[in-house]
Amino acid sequence: MPIWKNLSVIRKFVQLLAFLFLVYGSVFVGFYSADKLSGAFPVLSCAYDAKTADYCVLIPLQHQLGHGLGPAIAAGKFTLSLLLPILTTLGTFLLLFILLNKAFCGWLCPLGFFQEVLGMIGQKLRLNRTESLDDNLVDRIRPAKWLMLGLLVILLPLASGLGFVGHELGDPFCQICPSRILTSLFAGQLNQLYIDTSSTGYMILSIIADLLFGLILVLSLTMRQPFCRICPLLAMHALFKKVGLVKLVKNYTSRCDKCGLCAKACPMDIREIHTSKEKDILMPDCTLCGRCVEFCPDKGVMALKYAVIPIKVSDPAYFKERNKAQKRWEGKQKPSRRVKKD
Amino acid sequence: MHWSPAPKEKSHGHGGHGGHDRHAGKPFLLHAGEGAEVQLMSPSKVVQPLTLEHGRVSVKAMGTGNYHALVAKRSVGDLHESAVRYIYMNGKPSGVSPSLLIGHEKSALEIEPAPLAREHWRYYSNTDAQFIVRFQGEPLAGAKVHMQTGNGSSAEFAANTEGLVTIPLPEDFTYEKPGRMANPPSEFVLTAEHHVGTERHITTFSYGYHINPEHWQPTELGLAVIGGGMLIGGFITLRKRRRREKK
Repeated sequence: MPIWKNLSVIRKFVQLLAFLFLVYGSVFVGFYSADKLSGAFPVLSCAYDAKTADYCVLIPLQHQLGHGLGPAIAAGKFTLSLLLPILTTLGTFLLLFILLNKAFCGWLCPLGFFQEVLGMIGQKLRLNRTESLDDNLVDRIRPAKWLMLGLLVILLPLASGLGFVGHELGDPFCQICPSRILTSLFAGQLNQLYIDTSSTGYMILSIIADLLFGLILVLSLTMRQPFCRICPLLAMHALFKKVGLVKLVKNYTSRCDKCGLCAKACPMDIREIHTSKEKDILMPDCTLCGRCVEFCPDKGVMALKYAVIPIKVSDPAYFKERNKAQKRWEGKQKPSRRVKKD
Repeated sequence: MHWSPAPKEKSHGHGGHGGHDRHAGKPFLLHAGEGAEVQLMSPSKVVQPLTLEHGRVSVKAMGTGNYHALVAKRSVGDLHESAVRYIYMNGKPSGVSPSLLIGHEKSALEIEPAPLAREHWRYYSNTDAQFIVRFQGEPLAGAKVHMQTGNGSSAEFAANTEGLVTIPLPEDFTYEKPGRMANPPSEFVLTAEHHVGTERHITTFSYGYHINPEHWQPTELGLAVIGGGMLIGGFITLRKRRRREKK
């Protein structure tokens, strides 16, 4: 299969460009413009990265709750105008979100791309990979992203601003965010890789951040997208998924019941895309990577659409070619040492 | 003659991001600036004259936000002095890059930050900061730049052939307690002097710098904990594999 026809290869190329832009943004847009862009477009790079173009919507949200809204409520000076910065942040988030929907996760996010690259390295090293997680485990993990959004991005920053908890919890998600460490490391800085000994709170948060980063480094080699499953941005995207222009649609047929290849291909283990009989199958955990469409063997059953325009529609000929390409890429899987002994 | 922030009343917020009094005027002091003309220059180079009161000015944005230049100039006989400081103001987006203002010739002799430590980036002790010394808009090769910090350090540096001078900001804070709030910033003042015949030009650039957080944020410990995370990840992976193989 020619690589320019392979949706996964095209996606990797887009991810690579996005990674370069988001991590080394100021090299492209200029040192000072980087900050201004960051104020205007909320995408996942980071204010901690010296070369960044943009930063994550979660940073302004936490800061506006923790430094603006919370203290004003605590001082009894709440006015509706205090909501304007938050609404502006959400508005710019929505602007990009309407254009991209959850495809930001699957096509642009630097941390998502990094995890995928580690996964590819794991495949090439022939590590014993877990392609799909157990259903029970997936169900147990799913609420974590909502907890991260509700607790770390909204409640704790607001509680910090109100004075109920310490300043350490003013931007708790940033304090533990693995993308902060990743993008700054790629920008040649070691200054985000630390244990903060200035207070117990900061110390705990920095330990969590570094442990999480270490875990992601290893787990990504053998498991698909470990951090994406608990990312608060995934939850935030899920809140607005109906308004995005990119859609994932399914034309259910009875053949779907016996197949299930779409769910197997899904890096987020969304088994509902196989079992659902709905037209709109954009689930909260979906990153719109399009693998389910690629690996659907039936013509026109699954499609990735931009508004009403089909971007990719499932097709048996593509499926065959794509399957062959995948097998060629993976090569023969070496059994683990333990299996060999047996 | 140089600028420094004027001491202000203690706020009740936790600082760092301004809180909700961010549109209030910012007070600055001009040291040894008697008789100087003072002005504020917006990002789009619009000039607003300011009046010194007992060496002090209160600065408000002129409608737009972004970096503004606080400029003081004084000429007495053959001596031409200037002091420049950049201030971040909140306001409507200016629509222009700060490089326009920073690169604009505000006085004949000028120390231009290359680049200015912007928004989330600060000048830190034990790091290098770069500047270009310009005379009448052109880089001044070999210019001597004197650095004086609020913590008592001083040193002299020379610009290269492109007028670029690298200033290693000294580790001269007295570190007692960890944390940004426990370590207030200090000021550094760069002074350059240039003679043309009998004419003497002196300029200063001043800015705040902070203690390097590496004092309470050791990288070695961070690396060790990441290693711990990797070990846990390895353990989880192995356990998962063994369970699967048992099945």
